[in-house]
Amino acid sequence: MRQEVRLTAVGRRYGLRGPWVLRGVDLGVGPGTLVRVDGANGSGKSTLLRLLARLDAPSEGRISGRPRTAYVPERFPAALPFTPLGYLAHLGAVHGLPREAAARAAKTWLERFGAEAYGRTPMARLSKGSSQKVAVAQALVGDPELLVLDEAWTGLDAPARAELERAVAERTAAGGAVVFVDHDPRRLAGMPDATCTVTGGRLERRTGGHGAAVAGPLTVVTVQGATGSQLPSHVSEVVVSGAEIGGGRHRLVVPASRSDVLLRALLTAAPPWHVVGVVPAADDSGNRS
Amino acid sequence: MTALLRYQSDLLLRSQRWLPPVILYAVFLCVGVRSGEPVLDSLGYTAAALLPVAAWLTRICVTGEPAAARACVAAARGPARAQLAGLLTALFAAALLGTAATVVVALISDPASNGHRVHVAPWRATASGLPAALACALLGAAVGALTCRPVLRSTGRAVPAMLLGALLALVVAGSPAQAAVSGLVTGSRTGRAPVPVLPLVAAALVAAAAFAVSARLASRRAP
Repeated sequence: MRQEVRLTAVGRRYGLRGPWVLRGVDLGVGPGTLVRVDGANGSGKSTLLRLLARLDAPSEGRISGRPRTAYVPERFPAALPFTPLGYLAHLGAVHGLPREAAARAAKTWLERFGAEAYGRTPMARLSKGSSQKVAVAQALVGDPELLVLDEAWTGLDAPARAELERAVAERTAAGGAVVFVDHDPRRLAGMPDATCTVTGGRLERRTGGHGAAVAGPLTVVTVQGATGSQLPSHVSEVVVSGAEIGGGRHRLVVPASRSDVLLRALLTAAPPWHVVGVVPAADDSGNRS
Repeated sequence: MTALLRYQSDLLLRSQRWLPPVILYAVFLCVGVRSGEPVLDSLGYTAAALLPVAAWLTRICVTGEPAAARACVAAARGPARAQLAGLLTALFAAALLGTAATVVVALISDPASNGHRVHVAPWRATASGLPAALACALLGAAVGALTCRPVLRSTGRAVPAMLLGALLALVVAGSPAQAAVSGLVTGSRTGRAPVPVLPLVAAALVAAAAFAVSARLASRRAP
């Protein structure tokens, strides 16, 4: 039941005679795709994300497709009378999880973002960064088909930023779509299937991203398979380059944020591949964020 | 929808914003209802006082949630359903409050018409007081829904509009709340307890229409 969200000739303005924020936007976000949205401050990026998340109805044009969506807003309020665990359990249930599963998922995601210590602290007493961790976790508890991230990395500490990149890679590998806005050009570098730029209320779409355009940190994974076995087909969608180095061994170069996804694909293949080594790529010039 | 309602009611309870309207209602009742007075008259007052309280509760439920938190929930279930959950939570809270007040008032009042001429059984009085209170809760929720976000967004206009709307809903001839309340007051004079079915149905229709407008506008107006 995976669905594509498609915007067809969509325009949005606030008020009956307000200026157009966006106009003539055509964009499809299919399963398993990662889309980056760029643009100057106030150019309408957030409006585009709100349209994709179906929070705003378009003033003209139409939007089709209604996948299960989660949204991380730009500024998440601490002014909620819940504890993070209580809030996340509620949101998990709203996303359709049974109550026990929602409570479990809440705990898991807080742990992944290193916020389990604040699980029972009232949200009004959380710091901005911890509050942002809750904002990100609420979007991930429900295993959404479409994840919309409006500057979700802002305010997170370095381990949580890396964890969110991994979570995004997992979502796309599991067939979910992710659309994100971030001011750091190195964010998920090389991974997006498409980059869209909003300028003057219009949308420019550039496809691609893999190969020579990779700018982020890379990981080299050396694996060995049974004689004559082929690499699983979806491995090629993740890796930047791959080469056979003899003896049934393959040397695969992958964006660091996607290495877990690659390893999972190889280890769960039938027959499974043997992982010989995982090392950061030599040409990784220290541009980790 | 159950998860949304549970989330909204937890939000309302924990935010403690329900306290002022509930205290206001208690004060209304303490001032207007004396034990030993004719039951139908007191029930009419109980129902009428519930209308502004229901409008206020609706305003609390709809505007209490921060915009970003609302967006998170709306992304999961759609803005219309998220809005509807807030409105229904307020309506349930008002209905609960009205039911409790009606039962208490029916028990402590004099089971008779004005001047103690005709006996009115407490259960008979409750049977006519409950629909009247529910009609007022529904109409109050409708007034609240039409006088807050996303229909009216500035507090400066919304609050006076809500107060005026609640007043008009109570006094204008033809309003279901006015019909229900005046039915009780007239019944207190004659000793015949009417069951205001028609006002209740009319109030439910008005509330449904108001909720539909509010839910429909939720995705169309600026956040």
